[in-house]
Amino acid sequence: MNADQMNPALYVQLLNLFAGALLLTAVLVLWRRELSVIIRVFALQGAALGGLVAVLAAGQGSVELGALAAGVLVLRAGVLPAFLRRALAEAGDDRRETRPLVNVAASLLAAAVLTLLALAVSQPLVELAPSPAIRAVPIGIAVVLIGFFVLVTRRRALSQLVGFLLMDNGITAVGFLTTSGIGLVVEVGVALDVLLIVLVLQVLAGRMREMFGGTDLDELRELRD
Amino acid sequence: MTALGAWGGALQAVVIVAGSPLLLGLMRQVRARLEGRAGAGVVQPWRDLRKQLRKQAVTPRGTSEMFRVAPVLLVAMTLVVAVIAPFVTTSSVLPAVADLFVVVALLAHGTVVLALAGIDTGTAFGGMGASRETTILALVEPTALVAIFALSVRVGSTNLSAIVGSSLHDPARVLSPASLLAGVALAVVVVAETGRLPVDNPSTHLELTMVHEAMVLEYAGPDLALIELGSAMRLSVYLGLLANLFLPWGIATGAGVLSLLVGVAALVVKVALLGAALAFAEVFLAKVRLFRVPELLAGSFLLSILAVTSAYFLA
Amino acid sequence: MTVVGPGLTAAAAVCAVAVVAALVVPRARRPLVAGTLTVAAGGLGTVAGIAAMLGQPWSARLPGVLPLSGVVLTVDPLSGVFLAVSGAVAAVAALYGIGYSRHGLDGRAVQAVFPVFVLSLLVVPAAGSIATFLAGWELMALTSLLLVIAEHRRRVEVASAGRWYAVMTHLGFVAILIGLLVLAAPAAGDSFAAVRGAATTLSPPAIGLALVLCLVGFGSKAGMVPLHAWLPRAHPEAPSHVSALMSAAMVNMGIYGIVRVGVDLSGGGPRWFWLAVLAAGCLSAVYGILQAVISTDLKRLLAYSTTENMGLVLVGVGAGGLFASIGRPVLAALALTAALLHVICHAAFKTLLFLAAGSVLHATGTRDLDALGGLRTSMPVTTAAFGLGALAASALPPGTAFVSEWVLLQALIHGLPSPGVAASLVLPVAVAAVALTAGLAVATFVKAFGVGFLARPRSDAAAGAAESPPSMLAAMALAGLACVGMATAPSLVLPVLGGVAGRLAGADSPVGGRLGVELVGVSGALSPALLVAALMVATVLVVAVPRLLITRRARRVARLWDCGGGPLSERMEYTATSFAEPLQRVFDDVLQPSQDIDVTHHRESAYLVASVAYRRRVPDRVERRLYDPVLAAAAAWGEAGRRLATGSVHRYLGYGFYTLCGMLTVLVLLR
Repeated sequence: MNADQMNPALYVQLLNLFAGALLLTAVLVLWRRELSVIIRVFALQGAALGGLVAVLAAGQGSVELGALAAGVLVLRAGVLPAFLRRALAEAGDDRRETRPLVNVAASLLAAAVLTLLALAVSQPLVELAPSPAIRAVPIGIAVVLIGFFVLVTRRRALSQLVGFLLMDNGITAVGFLTTSGIGLVVEVGVALDVLLIVLVLQVLAGRMREMFGGTDLDELRELRD
Repeated sequence: MTALGAWGGALQAVVIVAGSPLLLGLMRQVRARLEGRAGAGVVQPWRDLRKQLRKQAVTPRGTSEMFRVAPVLLVAMTLVVAVIAPFVTTSSVLPAVADLFVVVALLAHGTVVLALAGIDTGTAFGGMGASRETTILALVEPTALVAIFALSVRVGSTNLSAIVGSSLHDPARVLSPASLLAGVALAVVVVAETGRLPVDNPSTHLELTMVHEAMVLEYAGPDLALIELGSAMRLSVYLGLLANLFLPWGIATGAGVLSLLVGVAALVVKVALLGAALAFAEVFLAKVRLFRVPELLAGSFLLSILAVTSAYFLA
Repeated sequence: MTVVGPGLTAAAAVCAVAVVAALVVPRARRPLVAGTLTVAAGGLGTVAGIAAMLGQPWSARLPGVLPLSGVVLTVDPLSGVFLAVSGAVAAVAALYGIGYSRHGLDGRAVQAVFPVFVLSLLVVPAAGSIATFLAGWELMALTSLLLVIAEHRRRVEVASAGRWYAVMTHLGFVAILIGLLVLAAPAAGDSFAAVRGAATTLSPPAIGLALVLCLVGFGSKAGMVPLHAWLPRAHPEAPSHVSALMSAAMVNMGIYGIVRVGVDLSGGGPRWFWLAVLAAGCLSAVYGILQAVISTDLKRLLAYSTTENMGLVLVGVGAGGLFASIGRPVLAALALTAALLHVICHAAFKTLLFLAAGSVLHATGTRDLDALGGLRTSMPVTTAAFGLGALAASALPPGTAFVSEWVLLQALIHGLPSPGVAASLVLPVAVAAVALTAGLAVATFVKAFGVGFLARPRSDAAAGAAESPPSMLAAMALAGLACVGMATAPSLVLPVLGGVAGRLAGADSPVGGRLGVELVGVSGALSPALLVAALMVATVLVVAVPRLLITRRARRVARLWDCGGGPLSERMEYTATSFAEPLQRVFDDVLQPSQDIDVTHHRESAYLVASVAYRRRVPDRVERRLYDPVLAAAAAWGEAGRRLATGSVHRYLGYGFYTLCGMLTVLVLLR
């Protein structure tokens, strides 16, 4: 592992660029309300994640990691957004997130608080090994928390799916940043899991729409018992 | 096995088999005289046995081998106890078997065999007798075993010969509180196990009061003779054990015709005295209700526990 | 040349083949093939166990099988005893299962899980590290659970029994896990050797905690009161050969655990612990046999009898530990020998009893003693088997349990005088408890054998019974042979057991003798073989002498005495309930039966009674007092928790989110 395979300053700058892109796209998902925009932003985030992994690969000079970067790019910037777009196409007319549980201003404030929390939590990790990659870990954790927040506060099933995928992106980012690679088997396994979940949720959303004419989860309260 | 033991064993078997109906007759005669009757004579039980042996054996329809073998097993088990326990001599024919636990449990086994025969008849009487007898047996066992514990703590062994021998060597120990309490407890055990008043009336045939008689109601002829002989032998064995555990004087300790004869005479006298005392007490007692018997047995259990604790603490 | 290693490996291999065979062979041949293979596995386990008992040590390491720690197997003489017992019982039960499984139990699942259960029963005593032990324990629990619920489609109670069993066995597992971890905390590894070496550095409170937790977990498996509630539920509902295996082999693992942890691994526990074990043993013995006496379900009676016998074994183990802690190693060895002997004897007669009960269930379809009876003519072999088992179980000479109870009583009796007031108070109470259980055991088995098998059938089911298939009869014969062998020749195993116990207690073997039992170091001797010989001679004499002296007339078969009122019907026979009723009255305060009387009146008048329905139930009082409040509290918690489930998905997600953020905040603040 030699960071001088690439110019160190360039390495750090690219790393910070892609990490910043990750965080920015996460905040954008929180800000925008139209579902098509959200999906496009999510695809951008996938690209940013792929870029991050590619920078790490270049920094370590590892071909394996480079292949992984390509895989991540294809999966998270290509395949998953394609699925989401198809699901959106079947949705029909409700293409907007209406009345989120927390209004946009409060959501953005919450995103700021969560970022601060992520920074505070990952302090000991950064103190332990202060390298440029580790310094980007708080961003990954912040993306996780923001993704969870999206999952909790959105009404539309598709938005919640995007929140879940945000969490997964964040966890993958933290994993790649803290270790030199999670291991091919684990990454492939996680990717397959995520794929499966997306497929299942897509089918579920379709079924819900057929039965209840909408996927607003709050309207499903009466089915408690 | 020693020569003394072998001779003693043979003598004991003969004396007990021949003498137990006589003991029964003596007890009935004492009762009769006290009640103002003439009585049938001491030899009457032998006359009854002879009459029954000559009769035809009857097997009820629907019973199994259990019914037929029960009288044989009862007498066989009591005979084994009669041979191995120290009645006439201190050394036993089979020292490895002359253990107090073995003897008590073997005698209980005899009761169990009869109870199974009672259930096997399939009549309400048989089941009733078996149920009551088993209840009494279950409640008497703890008293018997704990009393044995009390007796063997001092001696350091449960071997019957050792216990009797130690009482011979140290006569004052008989008067210790442990010994006296254990004696009273064992007396209650004897009364309960042999089916005498106040636990069971041996001469009743009323369904409300039968325990032992109900189990053997279906027996006739030679089977009944064996059962009567077995019950009489059990009574003499129990009384003999009670006598020799607490009053062992006269028992033969060395081989020799004279000492053996003295042993036999001592056994006969002691058992006859105890039997007469028992019969005397029975005249003044009434049978206790079945559901009051556990109270009596609990009292004897308490006495045996006190015997153990006093054996240890009053060193 | 050691036999232990090859024997165990071969047993494992045969079990694997049996599993494959059970999955592959067609239904018609499946029980035969799988059963025969399991019999072979059991036999191999027995051989290995006996070799280990005779002093051939063996150990093996398999690093890859379990993650992180690997499998460590160590077989010493103590494990050998339990290996031999498990193997023998498994062989007999598997042989029985060949005939028993033919109706309804020949599915792939049941036939494949049974060999795995047998394998787990061989792994647990052979385990040499904590990870291996726990893995084997959990395997044993899971496979036995699957076997218990095998017939859940036929009866409703099976599911409830399975639930109780699953919950209690896993709570026990948690207790054992924590206890063993506390014990292993200062050790360098988790192998038994490492734990043994490091046990001296543990503080007394830590050792006490570990021992108490292990007692809770292992005692629950052994059926110790008050953690016994699963036993009388699970054992009756399981298929009979599984009941036999569970009752005669699996509950022994609880005893093995207590002896291994308490005497071996922890270096001898403190005196209060062994007094607690002794007290628990007395309580289990008395309570178990009391519930057995009044039980009218044949297999439930046998299950409670298992609790009683395990209580007696615990009395022996507790007394052994107690004597070891006060410095009397000879008596400690004697008490442990008595406990081990009782384990073996109990395995023999409990197997026989459960197999015979299973035969009755197979033939009549009912376990209710009040509906059985008259099986002597239609099922002679089963009747003889149950009779032999009842004699063996009732602690009457010349029975199997009599020998082990004699040794136990000798150990207790010679225990006085002992230093310490507690010991000198507890030992007489223990003797009294053992005596009470002996008396009640006699009553129980007289009831079970007499009411269940003798007289005439009380129902159509019993009247229509037929004898069982030959494999079941062969298995019962084998178990009966074991009982008779232990009853007449205990000197075959006693010196070896004495050596095992002596090694544990730090003394020489306390028993010797070739023809009988001779105690070394204390005075006492018993020769069961001589007793049997004496009884046989006496019987011959009693039969022969009257025949010689008196000319006998032919035996006549006549009608039963019916007071002249007409033929007796089966309804007039004593039932199990009526047989035990005087005893139930005596122990009314302890048992507290509940009675229901339902009077239905005629429509025309409330003074005229049309019918009366009477029902009396004797519940398990420990369950009512101890378990019902716990279960009610758990249900109340669950009800209160429902208020959290409002139905809004967002709220559920919110719970997770808030908890995560809260925890992270706390983490930050605490640093």
